[in-house]
Amino acid sequence: MNGYFGEFGGRYVAEVLRGPLDELDQGFNEAVRDSEFWAALGQLRDEFIGRPTPLLYAANSTAALGGAQLYIKLEGLANTGAHKINNAVGQALLAQRLGKHRIIAETGAGQHGLATAAICAKLGLECTIYMGEVDIARQRPNVFMMELFGATVVPVTSGARTLKDAVNEALRDWAASCDTTHYIIGSALGPSPYPDMVREFQSVVGKEVEAQLQGRGITPTVLVACVGGGSNAIGFFSPWLERSAPRLVGVEAGGRGSLTGEHAARMNGLGRTGIVQGYKSLFLLDDDGQVQETHSVSAGLDYPGIGPQLASLGASGRVEYLRATDRQALEAVQFFARNEGVVFALESAHGGYQAMQLARSLPPDQVVVVNMSGRGDKDLFITARELTPGPWREYLLSEAEQ
Amino acid sequence: MNVMAHMIPFFPDLERSRRVAAALHDGGAAYIEVQFPYSDPTADGPAIQGATARALTQGFTVDRGWEFVATLSAPVFLMSYAGLVYARGVDRFVAAAAEHGVEGLIVPDLPIDSDEGLFAAGERYGVNILPVIALGASPDRIALVHRTRSRYIYASLRRGITGTHTTIGEENISFISELGSQGARVLAGFGISTAEQVQAVTAHAHAAVIGSAYVRAVLEAEQRDQDPYQSVLELTRQLTQVPG
Repeated sequence: MNGYFGEFGGRYVAEVLRGPLDELDQGFNEAVRDSEFWAALGQLRDEFIGRPTPLLYAANSTAALGGAQLYIKLEGLANTGAHKINNAVGQALLAQRLGKHRIIAETGAGQHGLATAAICAKLGLECTIYMGEVDIARQRPNVFMMELFGATVVPVTSGARTLKDAVNEALRDWAASCDTTHYIIGSALGPSPYPDMVREFQSVVGKEVEAQLQGRGITPTVLVACVGGGSNAIGFFSPWLERSAPRLVGVEAGGRGSLTGEHAARMNGLGRTGIVQGYKSLFLLDDDGQVQETHSVSAGLDYPGIGPQLASLGASGRVEYLRATDRQALEAVQFFARNEGVVFALESAHGGYQAMQLARSLPPDQVVVVNMSGRGDKDLFITARELTPGPWREYLLSEAEQ
Repeated sequence: MNVMAHMIPFFPDLERSRRVAAALHDGGAAYIEVQFPYSDPTADGPAIQGATARALTQGFTVDRGWEFVATLSAPVFLMSYAGLVYARGVDRFVAAAAEHGVEGLIVPDLPIDSDEGLFAAGERYGVNILPVIALGASPDRIALVHRTRSRYIYASLRRGITGTHTTIGEENISFISELGSQGARVLAGFGISTAEQVQAVTAHAHAAVIGSAYVRAVLEAEQRDQDPYQSVLELTRQLTQVPG
C-alpha cells in the first residue's frame, strides 16, 4: 500500500474498515484501466453533468481591476451547481462495479450531498446523506433538493454539528454496512485510496482548462482555487502539479478573525500534523491533539483539515496558500455578479477575492485563472441576509404568513 | 468470570468517575479499560460518543488522564485514538503509559501496518500493545495479528460500532478460538451487556469487554440523582458472576 504524499496521507483506520478500503483500492485501480468504465463515465459527463463547462474571459473585471487578464472556469454550471458532481458520478459508477446498491455520503454546504443524491437517483441507488445540524440550518434549500432526489438526509447532532461530524457519522455507518454500501467521500481526503480517487475524478476540470487555454493560445501565469478539504483545487491544479509554472494558489477560509474557532486556515503554520479521520495531514488541533472548532461563512470551507496531497504540495512550496475573510468573500460575490453576470458560491468567492487581488497586482500581459467551483444560488439565504437585510427580512416574514 | 470494564475519566465529572472506578474494583472487574476522550471517536456509538464529549467539557486532558490512571489498582488497559497518541508523540505517549502502570494500550486507528512505531515503543517500554481485529477480517490480517506475538488481542465480535447488541454464536466463537490459537489472551467485546453473553464469551476468550452498558448505568444513576457507585457495583457483580 502506498497512499502517501510525502509524509501525509496513509490509511489509519480501525481494522473493521480495512477490508472495504482494500476492496475499494483494488476496484478503483481496475476501473481506471478499463475502457468500458471510462466510456460510461464519459457519457454521463456529456449528457448528465454538462461537460465541458465554459472558461469565461472576464473582460469587464479585467478592465475594472486594471491589471492581468482574468479568466473564470465556470465549474458551477455543472449539473447540481458545483464541481462535486464530477467525483460523485465517478464513485457511484465505481460502487455499481463493486456490487454496492447503497450509497452514503457526508455533506457540509450540501453540494456534495446534492451531487450524490442526484447521481443516485439517475443510477437507481439507495442514498443516505449525513449532514450536521448547523449546516442543515444554513443550507436548507439543499436539504430540500436532496430529499426531492429521493435521498434520506440524516441530521448529525454530535460534536460541532458540521462537516467533520458528518464524516464521523458516515464512517460509523460504513463500519456496519460496508458489505452492501459504498461511502462516497466528497473531498480529496480521508484514508487512502480516497485522496487519489477524488483527484482522479476531479482532474477533468484541470484537463479542460488546459485544453481551453491552449485552444486560445494562452499561457496562464497563476491559477487560483478555494481550499476546504481541497477537491476542486487538486482537480483544477492537477495537470500542472509536476511542472514549475504556472503559480498555483489555494485560498483558505479566513473567517472573521485569527483566533481559535474564528477561521479554518490550516496552512502557513496554523495547522499541526495530526492523524484524524483516517489520514495524516495538517489540522487545527489543540496541544492534546483534540480537533478544534472552526468558522467560515461558507459551510464548505469550515473543515479543520486539508487533503494530504495539498498539505504536501504546501510543504514543498508548489502550492502557495492565502486566505480570504467572510467579508472579502461577500465582496467578491458582488464584484463578479455586477461585472460578469455570474454568481460565485461563497466557497469559490474566497478564491475569487484573491484572484481579484492578483489581477490588480500583475501586469496586463499576465493571466490569472480562477475556478468558480460552485455557483451561489444555494447561498441566497446567507447573501441576501448579509447584503440586503431589511427587504430580505420583510420577504421572509411575508412568506411565512402565507 | 473475567470482565474488562470500560470507563471514561471525567464522565460524568471527575469525582463521579472516581466513584465508578472504585465500584468496578469492588465489584470484581478483572481489568479496567480506561478510554481517553477524543473529539472525533469514529469507532464509538452514541453512548460512548456522548460520554466522551461530556468528559471533554468537564476538563479532561491527557495529563489529567495519566493522573487518574495512576490512582487505579486493577490492571488498566488504556484505549484512545491515533489523534491523541500522535499529537503527544508515540514514544512519549507509550513512555507515560509505562510510567503510570498501564498494562496495555488499545489504539484502533493505529493498526499493525500503519502503527507509527507503536508496537516497537511498546517493546521498548514494556507496555503491551493490543492488536485490534474485527469479525470478518481477512486471513491475511489475522496472520498479521499472530505475527505480533502480542500477549493480548482485542477482538470486536461484530462489525460496526460500539453499543449495539451482539449475538454470541458459532461464527464469533470460532473467531475467538482462532485468535487464541497461538497462546494470546483474547479480550472480546462490542455489544456485550449481560451475564449470559459474558459466560458465552469467556468460555472461549480470556475476558469479555463491557463498554456502553457501563455508560448507560452511569446515566441511569444520574437520572435518579444517585451516586453511580451502587449501580456500577451491581452491574459488575452481575456480569462477573455465573448466571444461574
